[in-house]
Amino acid sequence: MMENGADNPIIVCENVKKWFGDFQALRGVTTSVAEGEVVVVIGPSGSGKSTFIRCINRLEQHQEGRIVVGGTELTSDVRNIERIRSEVGMVFQQFNLFPHLTVLHNITLAQVWVRKRTRSEAEERALELLERVGIPEQAHKYPGQLSGGQQQRVAIARSLAMDPKIMLFDEPTSALDPEMIVEVLEVMRELAKTGMTIVAVTHEMGFAREVANRIVLFDEGQIIEEGPPSEFFTNPRHPRTKLFLQQILSH
Amino acid sequence: MSLDSHDLIPPEPPPKAMRISGFNWARKNLFSSVFSGTLTAILTVGLLLGILAVLRFIFSPDRRWEVIPPNAANYTVGSYPRDDLGNIWWSVWVIAALAGMSTVLWGVGGRVSVVKVVAGVRAAGVTALVVGVLSLWSPAGTAVQSWLVWGGAALIVAGWVPMRLLSEDRTVATANALAALVGLGMVVLWYLHLDRTSHWHLRLIVTALVVIAFHWLGRMAKRWLPDPTFKKVVTMLWVISFPVIYMHIQRNPSVAWEEVLPWLPWAALVMAVGPVAIGLVSRLPREQAAAVNFLLGAVTIFSWVVEWPMAIRVMTLLLTLFSMAAPTFASSPQARKVFYWSWLGGSLCALYFFLLGVASTGLDTRGDFLGGFNLTILLAVGGIALSFPVGLLLALGRTSTMPIFRILSVAYIEVIRGVPLITVLFFADKVIPRFLPPWVDVIGETKALLAITAFAAAYLAENVRGGLQSVSSGQFEAARALGMTTSQMTMLVTLPQALKAVIPAMVGQAIALFKDTSLVAIIGLADFLRVARDVVPNQPDSLGSVLENLLLAAVVYWIFAFSFSRASQRLEKRLGVGTR
Amino acid sequence: MNRPSLAPPTRPPFWRNATFLKWAAQIGVLFGVVALGYVLIGEAAANMRAQGLSLDWDLLTDPPGIQLGEGIFVKPDTGMEAFYTGAVNMLRVAMSGILAATVIGAVVGIARLSSNWLASRLATAFVETVRNIPVLVQVVFWFFLSSILFPVLQEGSSGPIPGLLLVSRKGISFAWPFPQETFWQWGVFLVVGLLTARWAYRTRMRRAEEMGEETRPLTWALLIFLAWAIVGWFAHPLAGAVGWLFGLLAAQVGAIPVLVYQVMLALAALYLAWRWIHRFLESRRSPAGLAKLTDDDYFRMILAGVLGTGGAAVLLLWPGITELGANVFQALLEFCDQKFDFLRTGAPLAIGQPSVEVPGRFAQIADTGMTMTPSFFGIWMGVTLYTSSFIAEIVRGGVLSVPKGQTEAGYALGLRRGQLLRMVILPQAFRVILPPLGNQYLNLSKNTSLGIAVAFPEMVQVGQTMFNQTGDTIQVILLWMGFYLTISLLISLLINYYNRRAQLVER
Repeated sequence: MMENGADNPIIVCENVKKWFGDFQALRGVTTSVAEGEVVVVIGPSGSGKSTFIRCINRLEQHQEGRIVVGGTELTSDVRNIERIRSEVGMVFQQFNLFPHLTVLHNITLAQVWVRKRTRSEAEERALELLERVGIPEQAHKYPGQLSGGQQQRVAIARSLAMDPKIMLFDEPTSALDPEMIVEVLEVMRELAKTGMTIVAVTHEMGFAREVANRIVLFDEGQIIEEGPPSEFFTNPRHPRTKLFLQQILSH
Repeated sequence: MSLDSHDLIPPEPPPKAMRISGFNWARKNLFSSVFSGTLTAILTVGLLLGILAVLRFIFSPDRRWEVIPPNAANYTVGSYPRDDLGNIWWSVWVIAALAGMSTVLWGVGGRVSVVKVVAGVRAAGVTALVVGVLSLWSPAGTAVQSWLVWGGAALIVAGWVPMRLLSEDRTVATANALAALVGLGMVVLWYLHLDRTSHWHLRLIVTALVVIAFHWLGRMAKRWLPDPTFKKVVTMLWVISFPVIYMHIQRNPSVAWEEVLPWLPWAALVMAVGPVAIGLVSRLPREQAAAVNFLLGAVTIFSWVVEWPMAIRVMTLLLTLFSMAAPTFASSPQARKVFYWSWLGGSLCALYFFLLGVASTGLDTRGDFLGGFNLTILLAVGGIALSFPVGLLLALGRTSTMPIFRILSVAYIEVIRGVPLITVLFFADKVIPRFLPPWVDVIGETKALLAITAFAAAYLAENVRGGLQSVSSGQFEAARALGMTTSQMTMLVTLPQALKAVIPAMVGQAIALFKDTSLVAIIGLADFLRVARDVVPNQPDSLGSVLENLLLAAVVYWIFAFSFSRASQRLEKRLGVGTR
Repeated sequence: MNRPSLAPPTRPPFWRNATFLKWAAQIGVLFGVVALGYVLIGEAAANMRAQGLSLDWDLLTDPPGIQLGEGIFVKPDTGMEAFYTGAVNMLRVAMSGILAATVIGAVVGIARLSSNWLASRLATAFVETVRNIPVLVQVVFWFFLSSILFPVLQEGSSGPIPGLLLVSRKGISFAWPFPQETFWQWGVFLVVGLLTARWAYRTRMRRAEEMGEETRPLTWALLIFLAWAIVGWFAHPLAGAVGWLFGLLAAQVGAIPVLVYQVMLALAALYLAWRWIHRFLESRRSPAGLAKLTDDDYFRMILAGVLGTGGAAVLLLWPGITELGANVFQALLEFCDQKFDFLRTGAPLAIGQPSVEVPGRFAQIADTGMTMTPSFFGIWMGVTLYTSSFIAEIVRGGVLSVPKGQTEAGYALGLRRGQLLRMVILPQAFRVILPPLGNQYLNLSKNTSLGIAVAFPEMVQVGQTMFNQTGDTIQVILLWMGFYLTISLLISLLINYYNRRAQLVER
């Protein structure tokens, strides 16, 4: 069991703090994620869980503490930021596909310009990934012509095309209709089986219970409790955890 | 509850539309209430009086419309040397060729219902007849009036007869209809034979033939080339045609080769260094690439300090810019190939236009070869083209996260938008010479173009800013999360979306700019308006005919602005049903 | 719990530091801009020295030796008087133009939406014709039209409506109520009337809402205003008391030494900067202290501080600025003082009728009525009609922007068409209309500068006449920029104020 991901850590956070104006979003977060580990971050809205994973690829800048991803520390060093971003994939709640480009072009764009592949290599990879997420036939459509679930799967393919070592998911199913949630979760499940390191913010407790190696509960900008799902769901230690689980599992 | 298919009521065709009678229509649209009826009555009387007044004005014996045709050359090209008018025709033909090619892209080749064409002919006939009859109330009759009456009647008859003979769903190719229209125009022009000294009607016919020939050429090319490539080629040709027309064809430059030859090898050297530098910079690690760029920058500054030939300075500067962009845009093998080609093209263009720009004109004038509608077009198109990059930079500066860029952009944009164009024109006309060494002589046209560019850039920047703000922050985050640099994000993700969103606004601004070029008449350039206001009415043969000429100017400006705005409305509709 | 221990943090070299690069680029560009400006200005100064010109402001005080077509000072004694005349002429065109363009634009815009086919077609034709012809062409056209097609002025001309309107090639003259020397005193009554009418409108409105009865607030307000106006017409000498107040104030302003004003204004500048920084810090206060401010925040605070201290320094070092301000203020008060007198009687307004005089060989329009010269007519018609076509489109767009559901809801509540328009559609349309309307007002004001094409002496024409005499182009252009930027700023402030109010009312 990789308790706390102590051995072979790929993400290390040490006392990370972050403020928005005078609101403190992160109040000293210390944790680490091991290579190949699947971590699910849960917590009430406004608890800082999104801010936390956005700090990991520096979409937000943490102001105190340290974050080291894959041995590279996130500082204001230009080189480090670019290196980390191209090694950490991210999937957003609102998909954020580029509406002016076809699905195929969405997936090849960063491969060509950031990964420096030739166009044919990139397209080959893109089609392979579209096959993997189950929508090869949509390659030449525009994102606006796809359903939400399909868009989210394209977004996952777009991130995977960069061959990231880590995938971050920021509430990937929150903007989807129930029948589409299933198809996106299926893709994520497949991904977890391949041994990808995953940090996901999600409210899908079924997914968390089944796939996660570790659950992390955030509240008020700090980690309240973390542990393997078996322990976390059946035997929570902290009263906040009990309360949260009651609220979320009652419906 | 479930219904078997035989229980379902089958859909019925809609009821036959009731034919609306003229009386019912009038009751609904003109006399729906007491107020509406009164309004209709008052407006009808007012309209008739207004039309009569206008017709009396137009057909008054005091009007001297006949002064306009002999001044056709003044109106179109101002004081361009009459012996070299061939140059102007060549530029017209270049544009005609490109237009002919583009008709393939614009979707000419569709079909239009014959009924519509015939209805159009009839409508023209009715208009002509009504105008002709009403104008009989004017103080004196002229030949034109009888032409209007009889021609109108003939058109009505011509439009009425086929209507009876043709079935409603008959169509005709738009291209043929247009060709017929052009042919009709030719015949009329031939008959009127306005300017007997220059055979311009013959040349117009050549123009029409060029259009048709290149339309067919375009069709053939479209069969050979894939669509996007053909589109790219035609667009590129349009972009290049403009400077070629004004710098080469119309300016007829005579290059002093004995001055050029000494530095030409050096220019070739810079061109050859280009691929080496780009290849190095795009392959080397960041620090070493920066060092190469630094070196190039130093050479550029050095070239300005020791005053190498201007062309070499400009090309070195260009090379530095290319090389600075290389790490972001030329790093994959394919992109690098594109980048090499663009360096070749860019540097050749720079060299070409530099050669022509510094050369003296081979025309028999004192540098004053631009005027009339030609100048108006140059200022409008040139202003739009040049203001585009400047406006983009300003918009990016204004939305930047870097405060000093933001302050500089905001200051520029707000100051320019706060003052009238005429003050900017005066600034360019009177103050720019003060800033330059005395031996540099900038011609008025260049100064006006600079002023219009500076002015339009500020307004364009505001439009583009609107587009930039309409791009959601999620797009930036996605681009960042994929590891793009700021410039890649801007070029590949932000700007394409932003620009697409503001195309209608930019077209509107282009129309405004076209109208605004008339202001250069105030600082003494002989543009279209100035020809109408000052040049023609001050000639001995047409002394004092200012109202006639101003009306002509108004009509010409109107035709262009109105058709642009109609075209932009169509474009807007097409974009609206597009891919977003 | 065992945590993996991290290697000690390393600082990146400065050329890879994002913050450093960001500021280096900005300061580099700023330096470039400043250097370019320095070089250009140096070149300009050298060129001007060579031509015997200088960058002083003597043109404002020297006699300009020019003659203007119309306005307050036709033969100005100083450059200041010339520019003042130009500015007032420009404002005359701009203000009357804005008024007329708004009315025409609103009528045409509503007509375009009319169910009457003829009205909507005519309105469309008007808009499409006028907005697609360059405004300069229109200005020039109206000017030449009036000076070619209008009747020749002769002795005994009395125009289409005798005693009221006289149309001729030398201008259009019409009857006008001219303010007399007692007008200002009457004006006090009008202002008071306006305020009480407003108060009455609000109280009646509130009552209508509370009691649910028809209280006719508009009628009340109008009647109260009329009552004040009529009483004031006869009782205006009473308002002479105001003059005494102004006189007292003027004396006070003059008595205080300039240094006091200087120090007060400088302290105010410093205080404002300090308050801004203080509030900014308060808003960014974080539990860990100031270390959490970004470099942007520091930049803003430094800028505020520099502006504040810079302003204070300028105020203290150049007493002339403050002195000028104080003098202008005092002159203004004294001017107001002169307008009021207990002993002044007579009607505040007197109707002047158009008439013709023949001083020499040629007939002239006498200045008994209000006269539009052909130049004024040209620029006024041009900019007014042009702008009105855009305003019509804005009004139409504004009304169309109100969702159809609003109309349906209004009808469902049983509102009549008029009520619906007044209480539902217009308030919502107004919010959409206001910002672009303000833009059009700005455009109209800027387009008055085309008066130069028809020799109408507004700011630009006066300026051009001036620099043709003196060669002081740079100064004149700076004056223009200052003038138009001020006008633009004022109009946008006004529009923003109303806009904010409209938004507040809606929320």
